Amino acid sequence: MTPVTAEELRETIARQFGRSLHIRTLDTGSCAVCEQEIRLLTAPHYDLHRLGFFFTPAPRHADLLLVTGPMIRAFEVAARKTYDAMPGPKVVVATGACALGGVYPADPFTHGTVDAVLPVDVWIPGCPPSPLALLHGLGVAVGKLAEKVRDLPFTAPDDSERTRGDS
Amino acid sequence: MTLWFVRGLRRGVVTTRYPARPDPSAASLPTPPAFRPGQLTAGVADRLVAVCPGGALRRDDRVLVYDVGACAACGRCATEAPHAVTSSGEFELAATARSVLIKRIPLRGEAP
Amino acid sequence: MTPTHLPVPPSLPRTVPGEVTAFQVASPDLEAVVRDLGGLRLADMFAAGSDGDATTLRLVWANDTAGQAGYVITETSIENGEYPALSEIAPAAFVEECEIYEQFGIRPASGKPLNRIMLPPHADLPTLGHKPQPEPEEARAPHIVGGQAFEFPFGPVRQVGVESLYYGLVTSGEEVVDLYLFTWHKHRGLEWRLRGKTPEQALFLAERTEGLSAVAVGWALAAAAEAATGTRPPETAQRTRAVALELERLYNHAAAMAALCQATGLAVGQSAAEITLERLLRLNARVFGHRYLFGVIAAGGASRAPDADAITSELPNAYGEFKRTADALLGTNSFVDRLEATGILTEAQARSLGLVGPVARAAGLTADARQVPGAPYGTRVTVATGAAGDVLARFSVMLAEAAESVRLIGEFLREGTAAGVTEVPRTAGTGLGWAESPRGEALAWVALDDDGRITRARLRPASARNWRGFDDACRSQNVFTDIPIIEASFWLTAAGMAR
Repeated sequence: MTPVTAEELRETIARQFGRSLHIRTLDTGSCAVCEQEIRLLTAPHYDLHRLGFFFTPAPRHADLLLVTGPMIRAFEVAARKTYDAMPGPKVVVATGACALGGVYPADPFTHGTVDAVLPVDVWIPGCPPSPLALLHGLGVAVGKLAEKVRDLPFTAPDDSERTRGDS
Repeated sequence: MTLWFVRGLRRGVVTTRYPARPDPSAASLPTPPAFRPGQLTAGVADRLVAVCPGGALRRDDRVLVYDVGACAACGRCATEAPHAVTSSGEFELAATARSVLIKRIPLRGEAP
Repeated sequence: MTPTHLPVPPSLPRTVPGEVTAFQVASPDLEAVVRDLGGLRLADMFAAGSDGDATTLRLVWANDTAGQAGYVITETSIENGEYPALSEIAPAAFVEECEIYEQFGIRPASGKPLNRIMLPPHADLPTLGHKPQPEPEEARAPHIVGGQAFEFPFGPVRQVGVESLYYGLVTSGEEVVDLYLFTWHKHRGLEWRLRGKTPEQALFLAERTEGLSAVAVGWALAAAAEAATGTRPPETAQRTRAVALELERLYNHAAAMAALCQATGLAVGQSAAEITLERLLRLNARVFGHRYLFGVIAAGGASRAPDADAITSELPNAYGEFKRTADALLGTNSFVDRLEATGILTEAQARSLGLVGPVARAAGLTADARQVPGAPYGTRVTVATGAAGDVLARFSVMLAEAAESVRLIGEFLREGTAAGVTEVPRTAGTGLGWAESPRGEALAWVALDDDGRITRARLRPASARNWRGFDDACRSQNVFTDIPIIEASFWLTAAGMAR
C-alpha cells in the first residue's frame, strides 16, 4: 500500500466516513465511567445513529477505534490485535484524560497514554468526556466538525473585583 | 407492547440538536481551567503545579505549561488560587494533533 | 486506634455498634479466632508490610445486624511466610489469600493451590511486599476441563461500550457449567500508587478506582484517614456526602435498569431507562458540578455544597420517570420472565462468600454499611431485602433502594447541607472507613506515617468482593444468554476488582 499523506487520508476519511461510520470501542484500563458516557451515545438524548455513526462489535467491520484508559501494559497484546484486525482506512480516537496521558504516568503498570502503542488520530480530553464532547470529537474525526481547541488560549483577563497583590 | 409505544409517543422527542444547534445542558458540564496571566507569579504557578494531581501542569522557567489533554478538570487548581484560575467554559476540546493541546501560558510580566 | 491485647474466646467481645474495635491475635490462635468470629461477615482480608520479614495480616469482620452494626479488625504478625488456611473455615477468604500471596509472598499453610487474581502473568510488576519466590508447578490451581464440556474463552475485548473483562466460560453447549474471570489486564496498581500521598492527594485516584462508585470509594478512603487521625468532618459536610452518595445510588440503579433491558433485548425499555439515567446525570452536573460526582468528597469533609434548589425542583420529576419506567417493566411479562429464576444465589452461598450490596440483600442478607450507627445516616435507613436471590429479586431491591434514596436526600436537605472541611492533621495512625456504594459496601483502610502520608492504603470496592459470587450465580441452571442479564443485575465493574 502506497504511503498516504495526512491530507489525502483526511480527504478519504471525510469522503468515506462522513456519512456512515462504524465504531469499535476499546477499554485499555479505564475506571468504567468513560464507558458509561460512550454507551449513552446511543441513548435517546444523543442518538448517534442520526449522524450516521454506528457501533459494531466486530473490529473487521469497524472504521474507527474509540479507545479509553491509560493503556495498561498487560492489555497491550489485546489492544494491538484489535487494531490490527481493523481493515484500513481506519481512525483511532483516544478519549479521556487517562488515554491522553493524564491521571497515570508511564510506569511498570501502564504506558500512561494510548499513543504509546496505537497511532492516534484524534484526542478527546475530559474526565470523562461527556457525550456532547464525544459527539464533537467524532465529528472532528470524520472531518465534519471544525477543531476549536487549536485556537483556544485557556487564558482569561484579570478579574478586576478579585485582583490580589503578590502571593 | 402497546403500552410502551404509547408511553414513547407521550414522552416525545428528547434528542439533542447538537451539533447543529448548541445544547443547553452543556452549561453545567465541568470544563478545564483558564488561567489569568496577570495573576500568575512564579510562586502561584509553583503552587498550581504542586496541587495538580493528574500531571497537567508544569513550569518551564517563565511559562506555565498546561496540558489540556491530561487535565481532568478536577478544579483543585481553581481552589488553590481562585484569583488566578477560572473556568474556561469550553467542552469541545477534540484535537487532531497532540501538540495542539499543550498551552504555554506566560507568567506575570512576560510577553504573551 | 491502639490494638488491645485480649484473650482469645469465649469472652471475646463482638462488635461495638458504630465502632471499629481492633485487637491483636497471635498466629497460632488465628484459626480459633476465625472460627469464633464466624457469626460475623468476613468483610476483607489484607496484609501490610511491617518491619523486617514480618508481615501483618488483618481481617476485617462486620456485624450486619440492625442496631448492632460495627466492625472488628484482627491483626496478626506472620513471621515465617505461612499462616493458617483460613479459607477452609471461611470460604470468603479465598480470593484474598491468593491476592496476599501475589503481593506479599505469604501463603496459607495448607499448601492448597492458589489462583492468579490481580497480577498479569509474565510481568514483573512492583508489589506491596516481598514477591513470592519462584513457585513450584503446583502453586497455581490446575484447570482441567473434561467430559462433555469445552472451554470458551471470551474477552477481554467484549461487546461495544463495556469494560474489558475476560471470562473463561465452560459449557456443554448452551448451559453454563463453570465461569471464571480474569481482571488482571485492568490492574493499575492503585494501592501501590497511593503510598507516599496525603489523603487529599490520594482521593483523586481513589475516586477513579471505580468511577461509577466515586463517591463511595472516596468517602471510604476519606473516612479511613479521618478515623486514623481522629478528625470529625462537620455535620453539614457529612450530610452533603450522603446526598452525593444517594444520587450516585440513583443513577447507578437507573443504569443497571437500562443494562437489564439491553440484556433482555427490550429496546423500548432500554431507551426509557436511558432517558431516566441521562436526566439523573444532568441533575448531578447541576447539583454538584460533575455528572459522576467526582470531586465532592474531600479529606475531612466535602468540597462542594449541593444546589438544593436544583434537587427540589428536578429530582421529583426525574424519580417519577424512573418509577414509571420501572413499573412498566415489571408489568411487561416477557421482561419479567427473563428475570425470574435466573442467576439464583442462595442465602447460604451469599453468606459463605461474604457478598455485599443488592446481590446479598436480594438473597436475604441484611448487610448495608449505612446501618452502622453514626453520622450522617444514624438509624434512619430502611434496608431493602429480598428472598428469591434471582435477578428479579436484585432488581426489586434496587427499585426499593431508589425510593429510599429519594426520601433520604429530602431529609438530608431539610436538615442542612454545606461544603466544609475539618482539616486532617498530619499525624500517624491507622483507620478503617466505609460507605455503601450502589453495588455494596466499599471499605478502605489506611496506615499513615508521622508526616501524615500513606504507607499502606487498602481499597476494597464492592466489586472486589462480589465478582466471586458471579460464577455461582451463572452456574445455577443458566444458559449463555442469561449471562448478560446476570451481569447487569450484579452491576459490578472490572475496574473495581482489578484496581
